[in-house]
Amino acid sequence: MQPCSREMQAMNSLLSPTQQIPLQDLQPNGNSGTHQAQIHNPQFDPTSSHDDFLDQMLSTLPSCSWSDLKSPWDPPKSDETPPSNPDNNVGFHYDEILASKLRQHQINGGGGGTTAAMKMMMQQQMMLPGRPIAAAGGGGLTMPLHNDIVDGSSFKSPNQQGGEGSVQALYNGFGAGSLHGTNNQSPNQPQHFHHPQAYLLFSFTFSPKYHEDPKWANDTYPVIHKYLFIVQGGNMQTQSFGATAGTVMNQSQASGSTTGGAPAQPKQRVRARRGQATDPHSIAERLRRERIAERMKALQELVPNANKTDKASMLDEIIDYVKFLQLQVKVLSMSRLGGAAAVAPLVADMPSEGGDCVQTTAGGGGSLQRNSNGNQPSANNDSLTETEHQVAKLMEEDMGSAMQYLQGKGLCLMPISLATAISTATCHSRNPMINKGSSSNHPLLQSNGDGPSSPSMSVLTVQSATMGNGGLDGSAKDAASVSKP
Amino acid sequence: MNNPHHLNPTSLKSRFTTRFLRALTKIRAQKPISSSSPTEIFRRYRRIKVAADKSMAYSVRSRRIWSKAMLWKLRSRSYRRQDPCSGRRSGKTNQAIMKKSSNENTTTRREDGVGFVEEADELRQLVPGGETMNLCNLLDETAHYIKCLTTQVQVMKKIADFYSF
Repeated sequence: MQPCSREMQAMNSLLSPTQQIPLQDLQPNGNSGTHQAQIHNPQFDPTSSHDDFLDQMLSTLPSCSWSDLKSPWDPPKSDETPPSNPDNNVGFHYDEILASKLRQHQINGGGGGTTAAMKMMMQQQMMLPGRPIAAAGGGGLTMPLHNDIVDGSSFKSPNQQGGEGSVQALYNGFGAGSLHGTNNQSPNQPQHFHHPQAYLLFSFTFSPKYHEDPKWANDTYPVIHKYLFIVQGGNMQTQSFGATAGTVMNQSQASGSTTGGAPAQPKQRVRARRGQATDPHSIAERLRRERIAERMKALQELVPNANKTDKASMLDEIIDYVKFLQLQVKVLSMSRLGGAAAVAPLVADMPSEGGDCVQTTAGGGGSLQRNSNGNQPSANNDSLTETEHQVAKLMEEDMGSAMQYLQGKGLCLMPISLATAISTATCHSRNPMINKGSSSNHPLLQSNGDGPSSPSMSVLTVQSATMGNGGLDGSAKDAASVSKP
Repeated sequence: MNNPHHLNPTSLKSRFTTRFLRALTKIRAQKPISSSSPTEIFRRYRRIKVAADKSMAYSVRSRRIWSKAMLWKLRSRSYRRQDPCSGRRSGKTNQAIMKKSSNENTTTRREDGVGFVEEADELRQLVPGGETMNLCNLLDETAHYIKCLTTQVQVMKKIADFYSF
């Protein structure tokens, strides 16, 4: 590709001294504002077509030497160092950087005072060939057009400045692959290029408009700079440049009003300003749907395990999570009955089943009372085992049926970490013999046999081997319901 | 991290914590931990849970629909407990109002055009005050509600851990 350092220097020299961007700044690492540029890096591959075009242009310019670029302007800064980022598309990279930098400049109002002057100049230039687009030259070029000219590059445009609309127009004109009208308006062209800076200014001129037009791709900047270099190279090129610019302007003018916001690029946002969808109902519908989608996205971040594919399953996840949280509050408030064994968990060391580790804790009440020394009557143990088997089987098919089965037995399902938390919270105060479940196979708790130990609340904890004791949030998958007497 | 709850004195977490701790101490003062009959325990549990919900709702004030609905529910329940007659009256009128509003909104909100009616209804039942919201607001409220619930659970867990040692 072209020598980028020279390009950069030329670019910088093209800018007025006040606007010159130090080359260091142009490096992507040195500036946070260029993050957009970096984002677009992967998207630059399709611009190889532009490269071809550029090569084309350059090949027709045998006499052009890069030194010509520098002659009319200020000598380039000698202290500037070329960007040290080796890159596959180094040229593009630089262009991105430059683009974002220029945008920043525009955003920062760099050249605010001169913008009007530039605008005037541009308009004059545009008016010279007597084009009808002159009126559009100043501000109207922010039209959304060019989408009909698909260049195969996906342009993303977060904050775009207004000038890029027209720049994009130019670009698309080029991208269409032919310098159409190269020879058509040659007599009119030379005037365009008396002020090569005008084209640079061209990008600056329309900057104020940009804020309203977020659609334009960042990528137009790099393209236009490339073509600006060509401009300096020779008259013929500049003529073609101007010609295509002119024709593209025409096109854009014509198509802007009609196509509205039809996005050719796949990822662009649908704009409300469509020529087709002027129906207020559909617009309202769309807005509503967008809002709902936003909210769903926000919810997705709150809810763990939110690998949603569609909205319905996401809603189900949300519902389960809310239920789970409410249940947690209930259980925690029970556990905090300072001293009263709201939960008198009982430990049964159960073998894991099919990858799932099932721990049964059954509390108090009449039938399931246990001794404090941890004797576990085998009968109860067996029944628990059997219950677990049954539950595990049911769980494979459907959680709901498993839950119902449990509830029928007066048991409930609880994430193991919650049970741990509760048991440690309550049993510490009462019973020294506590085994904190540290691994999935560990017995969870010791029973408390003092008195009518608890409200007959039984808890069957199931923990899938995959989840581990990752805290309550991690075990959100387990639905839990506490059955009360 | 001595006082993780109180790093920011105006955050939801710290507001909730202070209120909840106050309520807890009050409850503890009222009822000594003597009784261990199931009913007593149950009652105590209910009281604590109500205290938790109430302190959460108060921390959020009436900025949210769900908190407003929850506060209203709690208040009506407490009125009912204190004075059955007045409670019944207020309960009836309030319920009538609620029903009417929900009926009014039924036609407008039921078919949101997005097609998630059953899930939306279920969510409405879960989130307090959800019956009177369209899907858009419902999702908004749900997000805030989830955030508050997680805060509540975190704080309660920490308190439980702290006091159980």
